[in-house]
Amino acid sequence: MTFRDLSSLSLENLWRTKLRTSLTVLGVMIGIGALVSMVSFGSGIQHNIAREFRELDLFTTIQVLPSELNLEDPLSMDLDAMREASPLDDEVLELIRALPGVMLAYPEISFPALVKLGDAETKTSIRAVPSELGQRKPFSEISFGRFFESDDETSIVVTERLLDDLGIRLTDGAAPSRRARDDTTRQLTMVASGDVIGRTVTIVTSVLDENVLTRAISRTLMPTGRAPFREETVTLDIVGIQSGSMGFSGLGVGGRALIPSGTAERIPRLSFSSIWDLLDSRDGEQEYDSIHVKVGEMGELEAVGDAIEEMGFGTITLADYLDEMKRTFLLMDALLGAVGTVALFVAGLGIVNTMVTSILERTREIGVMKAIGGSESEVRWIFFIEAAIIGSLGGVLGLGLGWAVTRVANVAANAYIRPYGVAPADFFHMPIWLILGAIGFSVVVSLLAGIYPAGRAARVDPVKALRHD
Amino acid sequence: MGLEQALVVSALKKTYTKGTIDIPVLRGVDMHVAEGEFVSITGRSGSGKSTLLNLIGGLDTATSGSIVVHGRELTGMSRTELAVHRRRTVGMVFQSFNLIQSRTALENITLALAFGGHPRPTRRQRAGELLSSVGLGHRLDHTPGELSGGEAQRVAIARALANAPGILLADEPTGNLDSRTSCEIIELLRQLNRKQGITVIMVTHEEDAARSVSHRVLRLLDGVLLGEASGEVSE
Repeated sequence: MTFRDLSSLSLENLWRTKLRTSLTVLGVMIGIGALVSMVSFGSGIQHNIAREFRELDLFTTIQVLPSELNLEDPLSMDLDAMREASPLDDEVLELIRALPGVMLAYPEISFPALVKLGDAETKTSIRAVPSELGQRKPFSEISFGRFFESDDETSIVVTERLLDDLGIRLTDGAAPSRRARDDTTRQLTMVASGDVIGRTVTIVTSVLDENVLTRAISRTLMPTGRAPFREETVTLDIVGIQSGSMGFSGLGVGGRALIPSGTAERIPRLSFSSIWDLLDSRDGEQEYDSIHVKVGEMGELEAVGDAIEEMGFGTITLADYLDEMKRTFLLMDALLGAVGTVALFVAGLGIVNTMVTSILERTREIGVMKAIGGSESEVRWIFFIEAAIIGSLGGVLGLGLGWAVTRVANVAANAYIRPYGVAPADFFHMPIWLILGAIGFSVVVSLLAGIYPAGRAARVDPVKALRHD
Repeated sequence: MGLEQALVVSALKKTYTKGTIDIPVLRGVDMHVAEGEFVSITGRSGSGKSTLLNLIGGLDTATSGSIVVHGRELTGMSRTELAVHRRRTVGMVFQSFNLIQSRTALENITLALAFGGHPRPTRRQRAGELLSSVGLGHRLDHTPGELSGGEAQRVAIARALANAPGILLADEPTGNLDSRTSCEIIELLRQLNRKQGITVIMVTHEEDAARSVSHRVLRLLDGVLLGEASGEVSE
């Protein structure tokens, strides 16, 4: 009997028991569907994070901190030593800039401020960056207008979130945030982006008012009734609008408004990122919380990082996180895969059950086949192919089911996150290895499930089988 | 009827074991059947007739002794070799027809042809011819459930002949049929033997019918051949 004969005989047999076959195929479908959707979810998360890191240029970024960090065990760090660590100042910045491989180094400068636009105002965090960053993602992705062209221009790039906080909704902007949408009592002005570009905003910052401070200290514990601060005001022109919130904030890319670093230096302010800033500012020396370093190639990251650490500073690179992330992802993949595998294992048992039932029902038929010349191996193949057909069909349909589930889940997830102003993303990723692996896995499981029933069918004693009712 | 031996059985024993108890079914059977001969084996229920036929058909294996079919020793054959023996050398017909209920008359025969390695494109034609030869050319697409007992047995006979075996083994072929239909089936077997020269070994408990159609009638009692009688058929 040819393989084609065996296959068509198997198909005929399966067709005869359509309902049972369909239910068993459905079991495999669900197993493979679960496996595929779970693994593609894990893969999707990794894919998205890796893509975002790449887009944000984070694989070539080093964040320099005043002292060395122990990421493995943050509690073991010596706070006194950290306090006494060398400060990150302009001198250090120049030393870092001089290191081979360093393309760009700029300090982390962000400060709280009151932003006024027309009659509206809001408190926000302003970030100062060099104009050179306009060439790099995510800063290069300006939705409307442009980035700064020089470090000294009196301009500002705002996010749509900030405009929203100021009661301005762009008619040609991205989807509104949930906060804005829910706030029905607020007056919102609908404005085209072109009408926002060129408008002037006023930045109000706080600085220490030494007169008030001195008076407060001289009267010791007698309060003056006034905080020891005064306000400084500067006006800036809006040159660009960014739809997102300047992306990933893990390595300091966050912020709702950006200003050129040179302009920032001319704005008196308190950073308030640390209470030590207050004490450190006594001598008037400019110190930074951290310095961002961009290297040309990902391969240079380690050498530059080592050189900076030799200078006595701490560094954070993505590589530090990557190993930890890889471990986490591996665990997540294993757990997600395990759940899917359990489902597939149960489906495999379903195949065994179906095939054994089929053999019991067809015992006499097996006897007849043997009586008219069917060999053990032919009978074995017939049942083996039946199991393989169930598995393969279940695998292919399960892949389709998994894909459909991921699409529906993706639409649902995006609908959920859209009100928060998060850009739509594909939360599921189905790489080719997953597609081929899922089909291969289903075939392997079905073949394994077919071994016992097929062997049992082959061993049926024809004399007994022909007497079987 | 030729002089060459189609079958030679010597000192054939078959013992079944149930638990610790041995049940001897055949206790040393010697027989021979010439090419083109029609031999009937009669005996009471439990005398070992069907077991003897199953051993000759290669469905079962002997405990000891020898079975030589067309010059080939069956005892000691592998299970695969026995399958080849079943598909090419012998054709078997059973009391309960043993047709596959879900397949049509035609498909029951094409299945046997497929096991026999018959080329796929000509199977249906060959199966149709076989069914026509047993008078069922008009019932090709009927399933066994749609056929009468006599018709089902005719399909079973056509299937047994599918791969052109030299020997037809019929185990109580009329056991489930009324007397008139039994006569028709016996007549069909007789014609196959006389016209096509197929060697027929038939197991039956109807001695009269056996005598009327057979060249020789062998009697089996408790696993031993008692002797043989000539049939009413003259050469």
